[in-house]
Amino acid sequence: MAITWRGTELRLLLPLVVLVPMGFALAHIVAAGKPDPGPLGLALAYVALVLGAHIALVLLGHRGDQLLFPLAATTGGVGLVMLNRLPQTLAGMNLFGVEVGMATTQLVWFAISLVAMVAIAVFFRDDGILRHYKYTWALAGAGLLVITFLFGTEINGARLWLSIGPVTFQPGEAIKIVLVVFIAGYLAEKRALLAGANRRIGPIKIPPLPYLLPMLAIFAIVMVMVVISKDLGIALLFYGIFLTMLFVATGRRSYVLIGLVLFVAGSYVAYLLFPHVHVRVDNWLDPFADPTGTGYQTVQALYAFGRGGLFGEGLGQGLPLISGHIPIPAIETDFIFTAIAEELGLVGAFALLALAAALVARGLRIAILARDDFSSLMAIGLTTSLGLQTLIIVAGNAKLIPLTGITFPFVSYGGSSLLASFVVLGLLLSISHRTAADEGTTG
Amino acid sequence: MIPNIRRLAGYLLLAFAIVSGGITWWQVADAQQLASRPDNPQVIAARRSALRGTIFDSRGVPLATSRVISGLSRRTYVDQAFSHVIGYASLRYGTTGLEAAFDDLLTGRADPNPLRAVFDDILGRQPKPKDLTLTVDKRLQDFAAKQLSGMSGAVVAIDPRTGAILAMTSTPSFNATPISGDPNSATAPMAALLASPDKPLIDRSRQGVYTPGSIMKVLTASAALDSGAITPSTTFPDQPQEETTGFKVSGFTIREHDLGALRPALWPLSEAIQVSSNIYFAHVGLEVGAERYLDYAKRFGFCSPLTIGSGSRTLSASASYVTKRGPNGGCSPFTDKVELASAAFGQAQVNVTPLQMALVAATVANDGVMPELYVVRDIRAHANDPSRGPTGALIDSTSPAAGHRVISSQAASEVRQAMVDAVQGPLGRFYAGSGAVSLYGVSGVSTAGKTGTAQRSGGLAPHSWFVGFAPAQSGATPAIAVAVIVEGGGAGSGKAAPIGGQVMAEWLKLLSATP
Repeated sequence: MAITWRGTELRLLLPLVVLVPMGFALAHIVAAGKPDPGPLGLALAYVALVLGAHIALVLLGHRGDQLLFPLAATTGGVGLVMLNRLPQTLAGMNLFGVEVGMATTQLVWFAISLVAMVAIAVFFRDDGILRHYKYTWALAGAGLLVITFLFGTEINGARLWLSIGPVTFQPGEAIKIVLVVFIAGYLAEKRALLAGANRRIGPIKIPPLPYLLPMLAIFAIVMVMVVISKDLGIALLFYGIFLTMLFVATGRRSYVLIGLVLFVAGSYVAYLLFPHVHVRVDNWLDPFADPTGTGYQTVQALYAFGRGGLFGEGLGQGLPLISGHIPIPAIETDFIFTAIAEELGLVGAFALLALAAALVARGLRIAILARDDFSSLMAIGLTTSLGLQTLIIVAGNAKLIPLTGITFPFVSYGGSSLLASFVVLGLLLSISHRTAADEGTTG
Repeated sequence: MIPNIRRLAGYLLLAFAIVSGGITWWQVADAQQLASRPDNPQVIAARRSALRGTIFDSRGVPLATSRVISGLSRRTYVDQAFSHVIGYASLRYGTTGLEAAFDDLLTGRADPNPLRAVFDDILGRQPKPKDLTLTVDKRLQDFAAKQLSGMSGAVVAIDPRTGAILAMTSTPSFNATPISGDPNSATAPMAALLASPDKPLIDRSRQGVYTPGSIMKVLTASAALDSGAITPSTTFPDQPQEETTGFKVSGFTIREHDLGALRPALWPLSEAIQVSSNIYFAHVGLEVGAERYLDYAKRFGFCSPLTIGSGSRTLSASASYVTKRGPNGGCSPFTDKVELASAAFGQAQVNVTPLQMALVAATVANDGVMPELYVVRDIRAHANDPSRGPTGALIDSTSPAAGHRVISSQAASEVRQAMVDAVQGPLGRFYAGSGAVSLYGVSGVSTAGKTGTAQRSGGLAPHSWFVGFAPAQSGATPAIAVAVIVEGGGAGSGKAAPIGGQVMAEWLKLLSATP
């Protein structure tokens, strides 16, 4: 295969060469209190990894979209700068007998994720593997769900984790991708039938039963997911992806409306059944009712937003400690956006959201340009998974919806999340490569 | 599918806009409010090390000052007469009083000018503590506290024309300095104060809730005259007889207090208030009627907590009640005529704060217009040397609000005349007898007032009350209105009325000495 120059991608990646090392140096200068840039090894390693992934795509002749990767890499770079600035003891792992801190661990995951992205972007340039085995994928997803249910570890009241040896793994992230592939395959096949509904109940058109059943099955899977994870965030994300794909495939708002009604009903049942969900909803309604107890996390996060103001307190200068700790539990995962909003201000928060929105826009463009329904629907599902996940966690941080335990794609600390996000990116790249290859251009 | 994707793009864009709006709310619109909450780590950290603004009295005498000693902020309180109104700023026990209400300004976290706060944020300027200048005059405050020494009670003095608090003190008091010092050495003095049976931490002027007794007749007369239920010449034909036999209301007999050698007669308002006839005012209360009486009480500020100051920085007082407290905090309706008739002379379920009764007196004094209370006059930039007074640049100044009319000008002047008679008339309870009018050495000054002797159950000595204002002669504009309570002080004319008179006289002397 011939080398394909990806000039736009390279130009957009260049700012990172300055941005990430500067972020590391700034945090070190503030912490040390003297003009010493400190060790920049991690920052330079990140830059090298990102440029390495770019060079791999060039050498492998990839013709996929050139904006996706720079947008994700910049978002990830901001996240890494923030994770490096936070106390390194918040998380970490034992790497060949050496305890390494949070930022180093995240960098290791970046390396794994970027390799996965490039591999998938190249390997799935032929989509047959995905399309033809969609029921196998669905089965694999369901199997993973069952395993999590049986052997999962409960963290913060939510059973979202599988432990394999030293590595804790969040199967929800993998199930998410498998679900998108399955739904895309199914809808691409049955799209015409679903769109041409021929039965009515009152003003609502409903599709014929044989075609409705698989959709109800997905609803059931999602609700099982709620029961397993006891977390509405992941359920909201799954269901949102599903409804969005259904809407794009059929153009029917009524499906989405019925789906939302079902979801609200299901959530209400979860609210009644699970104390964990109950507490989160009550906290959402009035966190100041118990600011030092159950409302602590939410209240402290709101304080952080308030301290940030328009321009932020500056990297390394916010997030005051209470008895030696940052008073926002899960600051490195669920609340990483809050940390960035405090230190980089509303301006920084908007910049991060703009990167996410641009990534979504680019994903939708890939869906519009895709040559077949399956590719297009898959692009929609993958794009929505990133976009909705960002929206749900940011809305949760800002108390617009109850807080949920999902991550900010490319930014939050955590291997499963990072890997899944870059796998999604790889799949989007592969779809856009097919479009470009058919047209003989580079995306 | 492409049109569907375009629509999806629109929905997602809308979702991003909503989320951005949510963040903007917390980071900009609500940021000041969040920054003023005491459990914000920023606030806790700032409090430990930051200089706190000075609090001055109305003439620039420092009352609370701060120094930073080896990284720890230390607060010194100069005068125990101010311990309740100023409160304390403790690293261990939080803040109370004005220290709590104005915490964001004293620490410098907030700025009265929101625009400047935004500029400071943009320029990364460290916020500076602000100094407060009170309306309270240390000389009058100390004088009032001295009158109360050895007793449990409170004095509240208001300028009726402006609503400025001139004095507000509660005894017994406490030393706020050790509580605000080193967090570790603050526990012992605090424990002693909490264990004290005299309850020195309670601000009796704002949080003390007492049966008012006869001072309530000022409110009853105001409601009756303004509503037209009575005129100053109204009499009740059965009243002379009922003074001895009792007044039967719905089967319950209301009896007169001990009139001593006084012979009952057919009394109009002036005489009735001079002898403080419970029977007369029971009749008046019934003439006003339950709903109207409750309505007037609410207009005077009853049934919900009073606040001193406006906006987000206020000092609040306990609510005063004319009936039982309702399920949602307000006053319940009167249950029957007996309760209404008894409330009209200040018994039954009437419970009041000294601040509320001072405000009633101030409203009558101010021609029926209730002034808006305030206690902080100026907000200034921090002055480095507090002993030289509030020399920092003026940032904000309270201009007295117009207040709002509670009773008509005519009703107010009729109540005022009755109150002058009550303390100076031939049958009056105090300052009575002498032809030449004088008030504790201030000649040519008439006083309006009303004493109260609030009966308590269990054989405890009654609370001694006085409300009044001066000067009250026709044509004069009253310069001070007071409420005084001495817990268990016996008759109103015994303890509270002399204190009230002396405080008013002292203020008039101070006013004439300093032009």
